[in-house]
Amino acid sequence: MAAAVAMAALCRRLTGALRLGSAAAGLRGLTQNLFHKNLTKAEPLHQLKFLHTTLSRKGLEEFFDDPRNWGEKTVKSGDAWNIKQLRGKSSEDLHKLWYVLLKEKNMLLTLEQESKRQHRPMPSPERLEKVQKSMKNIDLVVREREIALRLLQTGHEKPVPGEWRHDFLGRTYWYSYKEWPIPWYLNKKYKKRKFYYLPHVNHFIRLRLEKSLCRRARRKNLEKTRQKVLERKFPHLAVKSQSQ
Amino acid sequence: YPLFQLGGPQLRIFRPNFFMLAVRPGVPQPEDTVQFRVSMEMTKVDIKNYLEKIYNVPVAAVRTRIQYGANNKRNHKNQRVKKPDYKVAYVQLGQGQTFQFPNLFPEKEQDAETRSFDDFKDKYMESEKQRQKGDPRRGGVPDWFGL
Repeated sequence: MAAAVAMAALCRRLTGALRLGSAAAGLRGLTQNLFHKNLTKAEPLHQLKFLHTTLSRKGLEEFFDDPRNWGEKTVKSGDAWNIKQLRGKSSEDLHKLWYVLLKEKNMLLTLEQESKRQHRPMPSPERLEKVQKSMKNIDLVVREREIALRLLQTGHEKPVPGEWRHDFLGRTYWYSYKEWPIPWYLNKKYKKRKFYYLPHVNHFIRLRLEKSLCRRARRKNLEKTRQKVLERKFPHLAVKSQSQ
Repeated sequence: YPLFQLGGPQLRIFRPNFFMLAVRPGVPQPEDTVQFRVSMEMTKVDIKNYLEKIYNVPVAAVRTRIQYGANNKRNHKNQRVKKPDYKVAYVQLGQGQTFQFPNLFPEKEQDAETRSFDDFKDKYMESEKQRQKGDPRRGGVPDWFGL
């Protein structure tokens, strides 16, 4: 997990550029509003000095919340980031947002552990779920962009090639190729794996198929009976089909 | 992760999903040592780079250990419930910095609602205690004794 040099440079630019309120589009107000959209208490960024200042004293304070929030019962926070909102952001913005969200998550986890230790309720635990949802959304958006780029450049959708294979129980699954330093015919562990099934398994495949079909039919019938019950109870709300 | 062989490129992770949380040490630690709970897959080098690059904290040394979570508690179905394992990292800060784990739950003045609720609760408890006490003329002797 050695961080890239580019990432370090980005971080330095983050501290410098955001404080200076640079002309980069959409970076204004990004420090405070990055992890909670529609934050009610937006701290004004009027420290527009031309000196480069670090965000906080040596960074260990970033594991903890604003000291004014310590001991409060609830801490206000905005909604999580939506996928639609994130799709409009540039990759650089998403990269910076990821790290802001990561630090916020670390802070919330620290708070959670400390509250468990002190036997106190954690103020606003829903912030954790919001942050996790936002991070998942960022991941999805970045993956989408990667897939689009890869399709344009190479024509492949998946980063790792693979194929459909059977396992020894007769099930079919997508096997993605793994990287090995030796070819497969020298790989003892790989040769022990069986990607075929013997004829006696066919009986069990049939049983499995029957089970899945049964379950599907049962679910459909349940839906139908539920609809019938509702129609009997509320006849006036029945959907009238186009009769012509 | 992609396979690494001699002469290959350095592994770079662009959006690390590893969490790291600071904990209050159970046993008193030296001034410059901070205790963290980290993700199980992180190594000492990873933790050092993480703190230096993301948090801009100078790190002198890192020591890690894995804490085994107990598996002997049982639930209502008599199944064993496992407490999750976690990795603990003891990080010594560089450049002679010190760190004290702060008090995250200081006593704050309560608002009118909680104060009135607390008063109500105290009054109720007092009235209950008064009811539980026996006849004051008996001088604290329980009712069990006759006469």
